[in-house]
Amino acid sequence: MSETEPQAESTARSSETTTGETDERIREEWSDYSFEGEAKLAVEDLDVHYGDDHALKGVSMDIPEESVTALIGPSGCGKSTYLRCLNRMNDRIKAASIDGSVQLDGEEIYQDGVDLVELRKEVGMVFQAPNPFPKSIRDNITYGPRKHGDLDTGLLARLTGRDDSDDADALVQRALEQAAIWDEVEDRLDDNAMGLSGGQQQRLCIARCLAVDPDVILMDEPASALDPVATSKIEDLIEELAEDYTVVVVTHNMQQAARISDQTAVFLTGGELVEYDDTEKIFENPESQRVEDYVTGKFG
Amino acid sequence: MAGATDSSVVRGDTSTYETVAAVTVGLAAVLFFLGLAATVELVSITGTLAGLPTLTTLGLLLVCMGLAVAGFGLVSYRGIFPTDPRASAGLVAAGLFAGLWGLIGALVFTETLGLGLLGGLGGGLGLGAVAFFATALPREDVGSTLPAGALAAFFGLVFLLGIVGPEWSWSPANFPDSQSVTFFARSVAPFAVMASSLVVGWAAAKAYGGFGARGRHLGAYLLVYLNAVAIIAILVALVAFVVFKGFGPVTEGIEVGLGVGPTTTIGLLGFSVDVVWPVFWPFLMNGASLFTDITGVFPAIVGTAWLVVGAVVLAVPLGVGAAIFLTEYAEQGRFTNVVEVATNALWSTPSIVFGLFGAAFLVPRFAPQKSLIAGMITLGFMLLPLVVITAREAMIAVPDEYRDASAALGVSRWQTIRSVVLPAAMPGVVTGVILGVGRIAGETAPLLLTMGGGSFVEAGRRAKVLGNFQLSLSPPFVTNPELTQATTALPYQLWQVVLTGTGQTAGVDDVTAFGWGTALVLLGVVLAFYAVGIATRQYFRSKLTYE
Repeated sequence: MSETEPQAESTARSSETTTGETDERIREEWSDYSFEGEAKLAVEDLDVHYGDDHALKGVSMDIPEESVTALIGPSGCGKSTYLRCLNRMNDRIKAASIDGSVQLDGEEIYQDGVDLVELRKEVGMVFQAPNPFPKSIRDNITYGPRKHGDLDTGLLARLTGRDDSDDADALVQRALEQAAIWDEVEDRLDDNAMGLSGGQQQRLCIARCLAVDPDVILMDEPASALDPVATSKIEDLIEELAEDYTVVVVTHNMQQAARISDQTAVFLTGGELVEYDDTEKIFENPESQRVEDYVTGKFG
Repeated sequence: MAGATDSSVVRGDTSTYETVAAVTVGLAAVLFFLGLAATVELVSITGTLAGLPTLTTLGLLLVCMGLAVAGFGLVSYRGIFPTDPRASAGLVAAGLFAGLWGLIGALVFTETLGLGLLGGLGGGLGLGAVAFFATALPREDVGSTLPAGALAAFFGLVFLLGIVGPEWSWSPANFPDSQSVTFFARSVAPFAVMASSLVVGWAAAKAYGGFGARGRHLGAYLLVYLNAVAIIAILVALVAFVVFKGFGPVTEGIEVGLGVGPTTTIGLLGFSVDVVWPVFWPFLMNGASLFTDITGVFPAIVGTAWLVVGAVVLAVPLGVGAAIFLTEYAEQGRFTNVVEVATNALWSTPSIVFGLFGAAFLVPRFAPQKSLIAGMITLGFMLLPLVVITAREAMIAVPDEYRDASAALGVSRWQTIRSVVLPAAMPGVVTGVILGVGRIAGETAPLLLTMGGGSFVEAGRRAKVLGNFQLSLSPPFVTNPELTQATTALPYQLWQVVLTGTGQTAGVDDVTAFGWGTALVLLGVVLAFYAVGIATRQYFRSKLTYE
């Protein structure tokens, strides 16, 4: 998925000449944005290039733990790119080059010797389109733990008496309950996940992500492919998850961001983070004129 | 054309015009299949059809349909029936009619009128030009019906007036004597009938749809539909022909009853049980022997089965492994493109080239003689490119979302391939193997050079691979004399019996019947492998879907 469009960049450049200075001042102000508690993720001067495209320009923002942080902005503004930097999914795109610092619990994740398996176990991800594996619901949930060697339900394990089937059942139930889908699927755990509805599939994907017990959950427009009822279920779920997890959500839907998030970051065209503050502040009294235009629908 | 006709979303009741057009379309389809049947002589050109000589009946039908089709055009042109024609039938139709009529013109002017090369050229070009402008210039309803109707009427009159009768033949004078070519009515007339029925059928379907967009849709639909049905008919005819010819020799002398069949010894860990088959099927269970009444192909069936199994066991792991590297690990670019082109080229390489390679490199290395294992490896190499190609396609078709989802859970690339990509790609891989098995099971040329020994083998000398593995303490630790010996296979035996006539010495009385029987058994063996493949594919598919 390409994150930047040439057109978007040119509009950014033209508006920069008029509003660039004020934006710079505002960024100085909110960079003092402080919250209670520890920063789960601390991002410093993050730059991303896709070939010649400068997709993310010097973004710095700290994300508090056990809260919902929404990333909003028009298409191609770099919010998904930013999100994918937090668990190094951008490493999978060959053309991407990433500079800057991202710290998870004070540990730099962009350095040599980082174990991507451990990182992604800590920082899980849910994608825009529901993407369950074409396997049974149970196998979808246990996939991560089994591949990490935390669960062993294979034939050899059964023969040698090291079978973890009971643990697996408990894990499946816990993850599905947390994702608020247990009641709907409890009597068909061995059915193929592709037979679920779109909203159910997305909650299954959230459950699959929860099954590896992450601290942070990244969600890339998790409800944009779903109908309103399924969307509201996902939104409720996100709010519940924030009690135990650090949730970062990319969304196009400003009402959604206003409803579910504790703090909101506004990215505007050109890969810049323009304003980052408490959600109420962003939607009721933003510092930047561009952000106000965007959240009131005059631009973007 | 707004306002030209009453436009209405709901079409009214069927009119006489539409009924006649529909009947004409149906008649054209019937005529097309009559022509098809005549090409394989299911309908005799020299005989009678519906009480009249065949060509007369066909001619009458063609004339009637030609007149009907031209009538549709006129009815539509005069506005008697409301239609929705475009301004012209279009350049494609015009070019097609120009070609058909040009060919007719050239033939008539050179052969019938005897005007020679220049006359033929002029006549062809002239008539082609007339047909081109008659199609392209008038409104669509006239342009697409008149040339079509005239074509059918022309052929109909040629048959009716006896210009081309059942005994007609034509030897073009321009060929040298040594290569004299003669066209007979029984081969030319069916094609003329099929061509003109396609053309009038198309025109009638257009007329039925009232020309315009709907008419063009129906015309194209008729052509595509007839094309599909004709291909299926040809395939069915081919299989039916083999079954018809081979059924007699294959089923000769079958006995059913307790204790009539051969004895099979099943041995395991020193114990052995004799099982007597309750069926005796000589053609499938006998080998070549002067002491049996009916010579069978049992050793050849065993040989073919081992060849296919050996080739699949060799090619599938190698091919899937290469496909995994190319799709999942290698950077997509020049290297993978070159490999792709090379595998495609390898798949199109003539099999005799593989055979020569096997004869030169494999035969001297395994045993100083043609051997089963050399045949297996040669066929395995032939199968390899198709497995690579199809496995690669199947893996590329696995959605990237699965890989992303797996990576986001912290699962390594190899584990992702093994647990997500391969299971999702398996049905595609199996489809490729099925296609490949069909090809290699029927290969004869490579076997001539790498495996074929005596074409007629006694039942007792078949390739007994399973029972002959021998362990030893020195390398290569496992040996199997059966693998290094020459044996026979169905296509090889078929070639031998039909072409070299070695059958007589092996007790085959009717060589041709034996050949058809062998062909039927080969068809059956290939279909059996297909069945196994389709069942395997269904198994992998059922694991992916929620049924």
